[in-house]
Amino acid sequence: MTTETVARPAALTAAVPSDGPAVARARRHRSATRRLVVSELRLLGRDPVTLTFVLVFPIVCMLIIGGSFGTTPDAEFPVNPSHWYVASYFTVVIGATGLIMLPVHIASYRERGVLRRFAASAFPRWSFALAQLVIGLVAIAIAGVLLLAVAAPVYGVPDVEQPLRVAAGMLAGSVAFISLGVLLGTLLPSARAAQAVGLLLFFPSFLLGAGGPPPAVMSPALRSIAEYLPLTVATDAIREPWLGIGDATGQLVAIAVIAVLATALAARRTSL
Amino acid sequence: MNPLADTPDHPDRVVSVRGLRKSYGGRVVVDDLDLDVSAGEVVGLIGANGAGKTTTVECLQGLRHADAGTVRVLGLDPIRDGAKLRPQIGSQLQSSGLPDRLRVAEAVELFSGRRARDADALLERFGLAQRRKYAFGTMSGGERQRLFLVLALLNQPRLVILDELTQGLDPTARREVWKAVAQLRDAGTTVLLVTHELDEAEALCERVVAMRGGRVLDSGTPAQLVARHARGATVGFGLPAGRAHESLDALRGLPGVTDVSRAGDQVTVHGEREVIAHTGAWLVSRGRIPHDLRVDVPDLETALLTLLDQPVEQSPTQIGAA
Repeated sequence: MTTETVARPAALTAAVPSDGPAVARARRHRSATRRLVVSELRLLGRDPVTLTFVLVFPIVCMLIIGGSFGTTPDAEFPVNPSHWYVASYFTVVIGATGLIMLPVHIASYRERGVLRRFAASAFPRWSFALAQLVIGLVAIAIAGVLLLAVAAPVYGVPDVEQPLRVAAGMLAGSVAFISLGVLLGTLLPSARAAQAVGLLLFFPSFLLGAGGPPPAVMSPALRSIAEYLPLTVATDAIREPWLGIGDATGQLVAIAVIAVLATALAARRTSL
Repeated sequence: MNPLADTPDHPDRVVSVRGLRKSYGGRVVVDDLDLDVSAGEVVGLIGANGAGKTTTVECLQGLRHADAGTVRVLGLDPIRDGAKLRPQIGSQLQSSGLPDRLRVAEAVELFSGRRARDADALLERFGLAQRRKYAFGTMSGGERQRLFLVLALLNQPRLVILDELTQGLDPTARREVWKAVAQLRDAGTTVLLVTHELDEAEALCERVVAMRGGRVLDSGTPAQLVARHARGATVGFGLPAGRAHESLDALRGLPGVTDVSRAGDQVTVHGEREVIAHTGAWLVSRGRIPHDLRVDVPDLETALLTLLDQPVEQSPTQIGAA
């Protein structure tokens, strides 16, 4: 049997809890949830998937597609086609965040045991779910603002006809897709699987429900499929009141219901 | 006999488990396990892979729900009272990591609770002071393990759970980590160490609990387990040819000797521990002081291997009896 006699160093004599310094530190201590949110935001900025897929991809596609159909309304487009796509591509940002960024992020955490580490530490039960909601909303807000900032000098940003409905649609759509993304990340076994499934869900949704051809040129079958895609519902809830071509009340209610259900499930799956 | 054995709610009891059972898809991983750890003890859970060690500590940490049984850590239920309990436990988990792009200083900041101690001193102690800006993904296996240990000790926990503590560490780093655990022990922190590195358990643990198939085989101090399950010893030395035959007969007649074998000029004496003294005395009495004398005394590994070879029904299941 090996026996080691080790002098007790100052660094470890504090292994027995002592209240004095801890109380002093508590005054300036940030809450665990806040620390987790800050850390996740910091890591978000270092993630190339986010930078590529959430920030760059929607802008590049919007620039290409937005200029492909001119600026004059016709049978396919009830409004200026470029404006139609500028309003539509905000939802592409939402879709990219919810279907690509977050599932890969969360699945990678599960795969590497990061969630286990959080669960075994003193983080509040819902802190991780909250952190994901915050980073999702921040990613969407930054990417959305960048998208509009690039669109403004090129195609112009269309006037928002019903600001409250648009804001409600953006919020409900964002929360719905963030929660769906978190949920996917907790269900898929690895980051690679999350990437594969995410891409498989994202591209049909993107092409049929947000940034692809207008519904008027789709076949009836494709149009029927597109109509029920969650991303189409979110796009309609934002684009119609934005461009003044409808209220999209049904779509707003539907995406809000999806948001509530997905948030409840995602929070449950990520509770620590 | 453990004085606290029959008092599961005793205030000095840090861990108290009764009848813990856990299955995965019909496969029983932990089966009717009892475990007690008292304040200030360093207890090792040892056993082969699949013995149920990690599942047991995951139930203690509240990471898994027990199928049956009672689990109390610091008097709290790890599932129901998780929010109260987790700040009091420092965990170094098997198969867990951190985000690749998280830097050392950021990890320390992230996991620093209200009771966090001076992180700089801890980083210095574990050789990570110069790695504060390193991203987790760029660190070696040993550096990662040392960081996990820093995070486990950061918030002055009352119970430290270390699962496969020195996995991936080089010998120097391993010794450094052992020293740190010895210091924790000296400072009165309760430590539950899960390992299949038996030299580690022997060096660090005041008591070890040997597990197989989710059950406790035996527990006690490392010396007690060795004494109970690996009592033998062997003495080897060179013996010139000539009167070797006579010498072998004489050695066979010594107290405690069970066998004497010879290969070339090398003689090996097997038997109980007492053969060491008797063989030494016999050699000295004949004026033979071999320069190649070898004494092999079984260690905890031999004791565990003996235990694992026992039929299941012979295994004692009482824990905390030592």
